[in-house]
Amino acid sequence: MFERRLYFHVDWLLVVSVLALTAIGLAMIYSSTYDPIRERVGTEFYKQTWAVGLGLVALLVCLSVDYRLLSEYSLVIFGGSVLLLVYVLLFGFVAGGARRWIPLGPVNLQPSEFARIALALVVATYFAENRRGAGQWRDLALGAAFLATLAVLIARQPDLGTAVTLVPIFVGTAYAAGMRPKVLAVLALLAVIAAPIAWFAVLKDYQKSRIETFLDPEQDPRGAGYQQIQARITVGSGGLTGKGYMQGTQGQFKFLPVAHNDFIYSVLAEELGFLGVVVTLGLYLFVILRSLEAARLARDRLGAYLVVGLVSGFSFQVVYNITMSAGLAPVKGLTLPLMSYGGSSIIATMAVFGLVLNVRMRRFTN
Amino acid sequence: MIDDRRSLPLRIRVLSYLVAAVFVVLGVCFWYFQVVQHARFLEMAENNHQRTLPLRAPRGMMFDRDGRVLVENRYAFTISLVPEHSRDLSRTLAVLSPALGVPEAALGETIARHARQPRYRPINLVTDASMAQLAAVLARRFELPDVIVEQVPTRQYPDDALGAHLFGYVGEVSDQQLTRVEFEGVSSGTIVGQSGIEQTYNQWLLGEDGARRVVVNSVGREIEVLGEVPPREGRRVELTIDADLQRAAEEGFKTLGYNGAAVVLDPRNGEVLSLVSLPAYDPNRFATGIDRTSWTALNTDRLRPLQNRAIQGRYSPGSTFKIVVAAAALEEGVATPDYKVNCPGGGVFYGRFFKCHLARGHGLVDMRTALEKSCNTYFYTLGNLVGIDRLHKWATAFGLGVRTGVDLPHEIEGIMPSTAWKRQRTGERWYPGETISVAIGQGQVSVTPISLAVMMATIANGGTRHVPHLVRAIDDGDGWTPVPSPPPAEVHDMAPEHVRALHEGLWLAVNGAGTGGRARVPGRDVAGKTGTAQVISIQGRQSAAGRTERDLRDHGWFVFFAPHDEPEIAGVVFAEHSDHGYLAAPIARHVIETFYAKKEGRPLPQLTPPAPPAVVASAPPAGGAVGGGGD
Repeated sequence: MFERRLYFHVDWLLVVSVLALTAIGLAMIYSSTYDPIRERVGTEFYKQTWAVGLGLVALLVCLSVDYRLLSEYSLVIFGGSVLLLVYVLLFGFVAGGARRWIPLGPVNLQPSEFARIALALVVATYFAENRRGAGQWRDLALGAAFLATLAVLIARQPDLGTAVTLVPIFVGTAYAAGMRPKVLAVLALLAVIAAPIAWFAVLKDYQKSRIETFLDPEQDPRGAGYQQIQARITVGSGGLTGKGYMQGTQGQFKFLPVAHNDFIYSVLAEELGFLGVVVTLGLYLFVILRSLEAARLARDRLGAYLVVGLVSGFSFQVVYNITMSAGLAPVKGLTLPLMSYGGSSIIATMAVFGLVLNVRMRRFTN
Repeated sequence: MIDDRRSLPLRIRVLSYLVAAVFVVLGVCFWYFQVVQHARFLEMAENNHQRTLPLRAPRGMMFDRDGRVLVENRYAFTISLVPEHSRDLSRTLAVLSPALGVPEAALGETIARHARQPRYRPINLVTDASMAQLAAVLARRFELPDVIVEQVPTRQYPDDALGAHLFGYVGEVSDQQLTRVEFEGVSSGTIVGQSGIEQTYNQWLLGEDGARRVVVNSVGREIEVLGEVPPREGRRVELTIDADLQRAAEEGFKTLGYNGAAVVLDPRNGEVLSLVSLPAYDPNRFATGIDRTSWTALNTDRLRPLQNRAIQGRYSPGSTFKIVVAAAALEEGVATPDYKVNCPGGGVFYGRFFKCHLARGHGLVDMRTALEKSCNTYFYTLGNLVGIDRLHKWATAFGLGVRTGVDLPHEIEGIMPSTAWKRQRTGERWYPGETISVAIGQGQVSVTPISLAVMMATIANGGTRHVPHLVRAIDDGDGWTPVPSPPPAEVHDMAPEHVRALHEGLWLAVNGAGTGGRARVPGRDVAGKTGTAQVISIQGRQSAAGRTERDLRDHGWFVFFAPHDEPEIAGVVFAEHSDHGYLAAPIARHVIETFYAKKEGRPLPQLTPPAPPAVVASAPPAGGAVGGGGD
């Protein structure tokens, strides 16, 4: 299992790119939590540094254990994930009106971040073991049951944002596993039909108001539209070369709330400008394409499906957060993987790349 | 079934292209925001976190001719609200209302009134906050991130209403004023002079506001100061005013219980030594912005405290005009000082009998006696000989019927009729009979108190009409620079013997048998002349129901200079509804005594209130059917 020669096949380019994004993220957290009055950086920076360390451990663990072994235990892992989510709903730590966290000593664990990995694993396993892949409605529906179980539990927290990120994981895996484009079209149509129903039956008022203000942020410039307007100002005022590292005024003077978390990319755009944006977009794109290459090179369907699922979830989250950080999408509590402040997020994302590297590294083994 | 051995790489490639395409779109979006629209967003960001706070410049101080402070500044605290920093306005008001002791509704109204101004501009809630209000707000400053407390230099008039009309008052520049040339560069919200010297010399007094550019955070707290331009105080101004004379004149009115006006000049150069108009107002109340109720009250007050009677009141000069008639007759060569007229108690002119105020007549009088005793018959005769146009010429030369040019805003001119004037005004010709009334200062002629003071100063100095002015020197920070007196408006060297005759007649009016006796100061050679300005005609008097008796009393004039040979002081006292000019004379005497006491370094005289006056008012004026003008 732990054959030393395997490590010669580790994709160092991907590792370096991931670490580069993580380092940039840390730098931006440092900048956006720096308090110019007290002249010191926020505790978030130190917490995040620890989380990155833990993330590297998670990456190593996920790299080392053969993904086929993990696949064999995928139902156990999935079940454990469900149990954790139920536990959160019953006993979780409440913050900001949502029950999302399990307190673990000095840190809070957010199980929904790890549920993504469980879903990718179980769905990839299911489609890989299924002879027909995801080509039939019945197979698709059975696979979707895994998605639904987790999505409902997470949406109950309530954390609609994270719940929604499960969808691209499932759809990505299913697509790789042979889901016909026609089905995708039908699903899209269903989504369009479901939207108004969801609007009236499912969405809470504050969620509705977020979407309403997204369409017209000026109608509530002090409330829900505030963040969106400030996000645009933050990004737009950065210009070509930015205001300089730690020179951003929007983030530093707290015009942008939770800048170190959901809006870390806005801060980057403000301080490092369009050039910084292009570099980081390039790094993200490289990470995604390089990972998809790992899927293409994978030894088996399981590996390919697993990587595509994980990368789909990652890509969706990156694209959504960056879109939001420019004020182009409704504000939703969704982190930017690898860069945002948040221990669970960084550890889970590192684990994801551990798995991606794992699949690529074992492409020659039997 | 799909053959995923072929389709899997294809599908992964599709995914790759899809992701790449999305990233390209994202890149384009950021390029659009950050490069194309950069300037717009940068400006928005700077408005977000940078503020330019004006540092108001204190206005220049004013001093009297002895260097005593007349107008200064103090610092007032204002409490304002910056709407942009309000997260929850109603909560702010709920906290603020009890702290300020102002009802929430009133605060809300103030804010609503400024709803259309930019949200970053503070809305003034309390100007000149009390210490209690200040303490209450500062104690709650963390609950009130949107409330700011500023120190603002504010005008202070130490002697309250003293010289109110002279100094004027200040107020926030109006939108209308901002469009005018003289307010170029003045920013909205600036305090500017709105009347009096504050207005005339606004540009000197204004100074230059400074500014502080600061960085604030999202709750408006100052993070750092980017730069500061200190304010530059306005220029200091030394006035020609003598505070002691100013106070003496005002005390005179108050002690005797009259409203009115007084102007005291240095006849040698036109410097204004004091200028009084009563009733007045307290200009301090304007300094921090007068409230609407007080403003309305001042504006609708029947006594019109906002009118500067000294330069805006127009009254018939009564017998004081006889000085002009005499001077005109002399200078035109119509009469010599020894020219005599017999007064049997009046005279017939143009088929009509004009009474003298003394029914039994003054007998044969020359010019000195005529001035002393104010003989109407004598001046009817002189006026008739001179004619209205020559009277007009000389009255104008002495300053009547024209603006004196004093450096105060909104001076009006009196009326000095002439044939041309009447033709232009009514299209009718001038009837010689009208001249007879004018000759004793009744009829169409009317004057402002300051123009009568200028007339008196001109007669006193022998024919040079100086422009009354208020500023001797200014200091723009490098020490005092004298401000030269304006050149005389008109110079006419009267023949010395004419001047002597006029001065003697006026000296007699005070020191002889004349009506100006109450202005007599032993050993001081005061020269002067009383006058009565008719308030209402006899016929009108009967129909004026509902007015108090006092309102119908005539106004009294007293014009003076001293000493009579080499005059150093000249002026006018106009006592509203004093009924007789001789009742205005004591005010002049108090001013003259104060002038000499100061000059000789003696303690300033005190004015004692007079004994309750004898009943004089109910009797009809001594004058005849046409004009009274008896005194």
